[in-house]
Amino acid sequence: MKRLVCLLLMLLPALGVAQPLRVGSKQFTESVILAELARGEAQRAGIDVEHRRELGGTAILWSALQHGDIDAYPEYTGTLTQELLKDVAPDAGIDALRARLAPMGIGITDSLGFDDNYAIGMREQRAEQLGIRSISDLAAHPEVRLGFSNEFMDRGDGWPGLRQRYGLPATRVRGLDHSLSYRALASGAVDVTDLYSTDAEIAYYHLRVLQDDRHYFPRYQAVFLYRLALERQSPVFVAALKRLVGRIDEPAMRRMNAQAKLEGQREADIAARFLGVPASGREDGFWQRLLHRTAEHVSLAAASLALAVLFAVPLGIVAARWRRLGQLVIGLTGILQTVPSLAMFVFMIPLFGIGAWPALAALFLYSLLPIVRNTHAGLLDIPLELRESASALGLPWRTRLTRVELPLATRSILAGIKTASVINVGTATLAALIGAGGYGQPILTGIRLNDISLILEGAVPAAVLAMLVQWLFEGIERWLTPRGLRIAARE
Amino acid sequence: MSAPRPDYTTPHAADFALHEVTRRYQGVTALDAVSLSFAAGSTTALIGGSGAGKSTVLRLLLGLDWPDAGTVSAWGQPLQRDGLLALRQRVGYVIQEGGLFPHLTALGNLALQPRYLGWPAERIRQRAHELAELARLPVDALARYPAELSGGQRQRVALMRGLMADPDALLLDEPLGALDPIVRHELQDELKQIFSQLGKTVVVVTHDLAEAAWFADRLVLLRDGRVVQDGRYEDLRDRPADDFVRAFTHAQRALPGGAA
Repeated sequence: MKRLVCLLLMLLPALGVAQPLRVGSKQFTESVILAELARGEAQRAGIDVEHRRELGGTAILWSALQHGDIDAYPEYTGTLTQELLKDVAPDAGIDALRARLAPMGIGITDSLGFDDNYAIGMREQRAEQLGIRSISDLAAHPEVRLGFSNEFMDRGDGWPGLRQRYGLPATRVRGLDHSLSYRALASGAVDVTDLYSTDAEIAYYHLRVLQDDRHYFPRYQAVFLYRLALERQSPVFVAALKRLVGRIDEPAMRRMNAQAKLEGQREADIAARFLGVPASGREDGFWQRLLHRTAEHVSLAAASLALAVLFAVPLGIVAARWRRLGQLVIGLTGILQTVPSLAMFVFMIPLFGIGAWPALAALFLYSLLPIVRNTHAGLLDIPLELRESASALGLPWRTRLTRVELPLATRSILAGIKTASVINVGTATLAALIGAGGYGQPILTGIRLNDISLILEGAVPAAVLAMLVQWLFEGIERWLTPRGLRIAARE
Repeated sequence: MSAPRPDYTTPHAADFALHEVTRRYQGVTALDAVSLSFAAGSTTALIGGSGAGKSTVLRLLLGLDWPDAGTVSAWGQPLQRDGLLALRQRVGYVIQEGGLFPHLTALGNLALQPRYLGWPAERIRQRAHELAELARLPVDALARYPAELSGGQRQRVALMRGLMADPDALLLDEPLGALDPIVRHELQDELKQIFSQLGKTVVVVTHDLAEAAWFADRLVLLRDGRVVQDGRYEDLRDRPADDFVRAFTHAQRALPGGAA
């Protein structure tokens, strides 16, 4: 027991963060550039702003803004009318939205100067071959393969409504990450995908944007959403956001998207050039980045694991002692395990905001099951005659537990902890989606920018860390397993 | 306040008693209205085939199992759940294969109970050495793990563990069942000597009639959860209660050539 406790003491690097103003961005390039523009403009006004990059999808940003975890983020009017505010007219203007958002404590700027509409696109050549010019032409071609971004698949203004409006056949639809859909289109893996009208790839891949002849898609004017409280607390920041209004036209935005996605320039540099300010802070060197992300990743995985051990081992003991309760505990932790990891992270946002805490909570919950189950199984697997021999010596439950049963279950418990830790190292890569950083950050950016070397910059260290953790625990197992059990196993 | 704890210290004619005890496991009757008592200082052997209910008697006496009907008492007091620790500390229990804890050395196994009882280390060591002599276990075996001991040594250590706190009674469940014939024979001699030397109340379960007769003055033959006959070996041999007893005693065949 004492030894188990000392295992737990490898924990708790400080996770707190000091808070300047925070601008969030979604997991696609345009959003990242817009957030960089806001940061640059605010910086010019003398305000230090932190950019929480690539925080997953709309749901995460929206909920983070409402909970005050971020102060502003770029959004589109169509997303507000179709997805976020269920009870407004689909063609509501910005003034109507402003009136609707104000009671929620959220402010909205006027249009930044461009629309980024959803559109449906195909390779020019393929469209020509099939004679498809408008979306309604698709109805006559059930053989075309549709691949839509995951968000588009589920949104109120996405695929379900589109399909209904145009009476499209439902066959052969696949969900993809938006960053991948162009490559899927180019490689011929899908024929039709959803586009953002400012995407640089439309020209690059020679795509035909299908005409929305039944006027399904609403306008998506780019705006900034911000916390209304800032109008009092930081009027200079709000003024900086508003200075971007009307300044970015569609060609400018498409050009900036192209610079990031096709030319591989840094979003911060692109934004600085657009604003005519000197580019801010050079990027960290490779080793510095790696070190920083490793610290984030390891502290996330280790702290959540330590916390899980602290709770799960006692839960496993309880489950082994009281069978009924045990079934309940194992059932509940099992249900936790079935929650998809991204959903789990998103569920944690209303409770813990964004950043390290919700990631920690989600990883903690995931770690429970393997440890609870292995503790429970390890204790129940102790042969009946050994448990009875301990009872027959007149030892009370606690003494039996600490002197006999836990030592005999050491291996099983450690195996559970090992499983949990390896899963943790892997799952923690998703934590970047809610702003917790770690190895997931370069993976996300790499997927977004189609940059394999950046993906590897996250994926390789994550794999190496998982292997190191495996070795570490094998060492710990050798060290903690009672000698008599090792001898018994060899016999 | 909870009910007063049963006082197991009062001397009583019978150390252990079962009164009309019935125990069923999922429809199978292990004991069927069995009444038995075990006098202080006596040695009794419970015999019978497998499933006859012999082991169940020992488990009931220790409160490792509870009857569906009837009462079990020790030293004149009915068994109660909150008095079990005190009861078990007065009874040594030794099972087939010993039930030694593989993560502890022989000495660690011996020390478990006395350490809980608050004995100083030196006293534990002394007692272990004393018992090693009694059980004829080489002293250096005390530092070994169960997996490093021979079958006979493991059985000796298990017996020593049962005797560490100098209990008033010893319950043994097939204590020699897992041993080869030579070691078994040797240990039978030693056990008998130990029993008579210590003068404790002993109940030993075995399926071997000869072993039972060697250890005990009193043999209780069980079959299908009932006591078929209760008496001396000679009674069972010469005046079997029924055909089953006759068959049981005859099944222990004499060796060819008459060398019984």
